[in-house]
Amino acid sequence: MEVSKNSFKTLSEPVRQFSGLVGIIILIFITFFVLNNIFGEGDELVAKMKIEEERIAEERKLNKLISSLPSGVLVSFDGTDNFKLSDELYKAVCKATKLIPQRAIMGANFLNFRAHEIYTINGNKIDETFVKWDDEKNKCFAGFVVSGNNVGVDETVTVSGEALSFLSTGIDTRVYFIKNF
Amino acid sequence: MKKLIFFILFSSLITSLALARSTGCKQGNCDNGYGKWVYTDKTTYEGEWVATKKHGQGTETWPNGYIYKGEFKESQWNGIGILFFPDGSTYEGEWANGFMNGEGTFTWSDGKQKKGIWKNGSFQE
Repeated sequence: MEVSKNSFKTLSEPVRQFSGLVGIIILIFITFFVLNNIFGEGDELVAKMKIEEERIAEERKLNKLISSLPSGVLVSFDGTDNFKLSDELYKAVCKATKLIPQRAIMGANFLNFRAHEIYTINGNKIDETFVKWDDEKNKCFAGFVVSGNNVGVDETVTVSGEALSFLSTGIDTRVYFIKNF
Repeated sequence: MKKLIFFILFSSLITSLALARSTGCKQGNCDNGYGKWVYTDKTTYEGEWVATKKHGQGTETWPNGYIYKGEFKESQWNGIGILFFPDGSTYEGEWANGFMNGEGTFTWSDGKQKKGIWKNGSFQE
């Protein structure tokens, strides 16, 4: 130890300064490495941030698309005077839609009396709504969950079906027809 | 600030007035007789009224494309009627308490049919 100390002293001033600088840099790197391992999430955090950034970008893209759609009823099937969505638009609108208005729920309830009963008893209250794009079937599915006490029995009913039409308000889109038959 | 509050209140008042004018009984007699009623969500009923209730023959049109044409009793779909679904499917037959109840035919938009007895919207196999 004493020998290496002495040999270090024998080095020229610039070499000693450079060695010191390298030493400090290594120390900083080690410190950050240790701190990152203790407090940081490293790759996991970067991956999360990337996903979030992609989600925001996707949302912006969808919002731009929604605002470019004509206001009114948008359908995914032929035979009406309403605006017909292309396959690409249908998928995009499905992914951007979150709301299901009352008439769409009431329409789906025609084929599900139990859901209608719970819905009516509970003052038209809906526990949960969902709109999902199914990549396998290449279709948009929407539905809702109603729950409550029906003649002394606690019941939960999920109604779901293909979302075939939407309402574009110019600000957002809403599921307008759930085909559950 | 005062101007902004005044503007918001004034706008709300105008919107409420416009909405109130566009809903309610728009044609005829919606108490006893034949009239057209427009609801706030743009659902319309045009047909016969008895004691301020939909009673008799009428047509109810929902903004999302459901159209019911037929008999009403106490404001509900009761009797013989046909419901057009937004995709072109139809149910034609008997109704009770707003549901398919009795004999009827459900026709899908592709022409496929199911004919028989229905109970509360379900086909009885």
